[in-house]
Amino acid sequence: MDYIIQGFAEAFKLLFSFDQEIYRIILLTLYVTIMSTFIATIIGVPLGIFIGIKNFRFKRTLIRFLYTFMSIPPVIAGLFVYLVLARRGPLGQLELLFTPTAMIIAQVFLVAPIIMGITYNNTRDKGQNIKQVAYTLGADKRQALMLLLFELKADIFAAIVSGFGRAISEVGAVMLVGGNIKGHTRVMTTSIAMLQSMGDYSQAIAIGLVLLVLSFIINSILYHIQRVV
Amino acid sequence: MNITLHNITKKYGDKTVLSIDQLEFKTGTVTGIIGPNGSGKSTLMRIISGIDKEYTGCLNIDGHEINQEICKNMTLVFQKPYLINTDVYNNIAYPLKIRGVSKLEMNRKIENMIELLQLKEIIRQSARTLSGGEMQRVALARAIVFEPRLLLLDEPTSNIDPKTMQLMESAIKYINKCCNTTVVLVTHNIRQLRRVCTEAVFMQEGKVVERDLVKDVLNRLDEDFIGDFLEKELPI
Repeated sequence: MDYIIQGFAEAFKLLFSFDQEIYRIILLTLYVTIMSTFIATIIGVPLGIFIGIKNFRFKRTLIRFLYTFMSIPPVIAGLFVYLVLARRGPLGQLELLFTPTAMIIAQVFLVAPIIMGITYNNTRDKGQNIKQVAYTLGADKRQALMLLLFELKADIFAAIVSGFGRAISEVGAVMLVGGNIKGHTRVMTTSIAMLQSMGDYSQAIAIGLVLLVLSFIINSILYHIQRVV
Repeated sequence: MNITLHNITKKYGDKTVLSIDQLEFKTGTVTGIIGPNGSGKSTLMRIISGIDKEYTGCLNIDGHEINQEICKNMTLVFQKPYLINTDVYNNIAYPLKIRGVSKLEMNRKIENMIELLQLKEIIRQSARTLSGGEMQRVALARAIVFEPRLLLLDEPTSNIDPKTMQLMESAIKYINKCCNTTVVLVTHNIRQLRRVCTEAVFMQEGKVVERDLVKDVLNRLDEDFIGDFLEKELPI
């Protein structure tokens, strides 16, 4: 029990000593998480809406794949991106492996299906009604789409928050493609995993606390935006 | 708007849910459509409104096939209306905004609707907090605020109190009179049919069984299956 209390005490000390290494890790985590959530939103929201309102061949098969990808184990996504970006892989010449870009790509693979799946489900449930109302009031396709986005905004934000949650808490994929290189690809989750294995609990707790606080702040901002818009 | 339907057939799989040889709704008329559940009334409304395009046959509105311009001049009010997640004012303003109506003109038209359907008390209220009757009034206000030339109503007054029903019927008559709007009203209420409509269409099993002036259709109440249906299903 003592080592936990001691860990917390040291964690606060470490945080308020403004340790450069810790703040570098925090900034990189924010960069990778926000970028991957942003890109996944750009991909996931339009595709989720499209699948939700359109009927086409193999739609059911596509949805089965989508649901599978929503729960894909991060190490599998990480392994796939690793193989593609590895020197002998199809995109090896880009030399992206063990860079923050590779970490963002891996996270997009994990987050985009979540955002797409949640958006698809909400569009399927409400989209038909919204579209019909828009058309019966004289809206053209663009105006109907705008109304659909307006009506689904709370659901889309919920999807983004879920995606962000997955991105910020992810370890396996970013560890594989980032390599947890100090000062280069080390993020909070990979640091915690490494520090725990090294027995350095105070640093692990410090970073864990920051991760929790950051997650709380960003989710609060998203929640506020959701209520305002 | 003058609506003509020729050989309209709608199927779900092998099942034919609508089969109309010939039907016309003349400009400025108020026609009531009655019939048992599953007789194809709502399907007919969805086809005329243009939201259901999967049918065979010929539907002409003012001599043209349905296009965006025609759609801009007609509307459909559903039995369970979907209101936009904003306040009542903005719900009613929506069709005016998408038509680019000026703010001044918009306010004038909305004021008119507030008076016509007695919406003053709830005009700034969120649409999601309204009662069923209030939602129906707002949906009707939103449908007629842009003065459509064709107004389709799919049981808009089911399950609402008599006062609200009266208000809505007055609004329907008003829009018909002031804009010469063609009105097609699906109803299960014979009294409403008498009060609001001049013509009636009786449907059964996807077919038009009777088409006449309201009083003539109702006069045949005891004669055949129309009478049986009306006695069983409609509050007379």
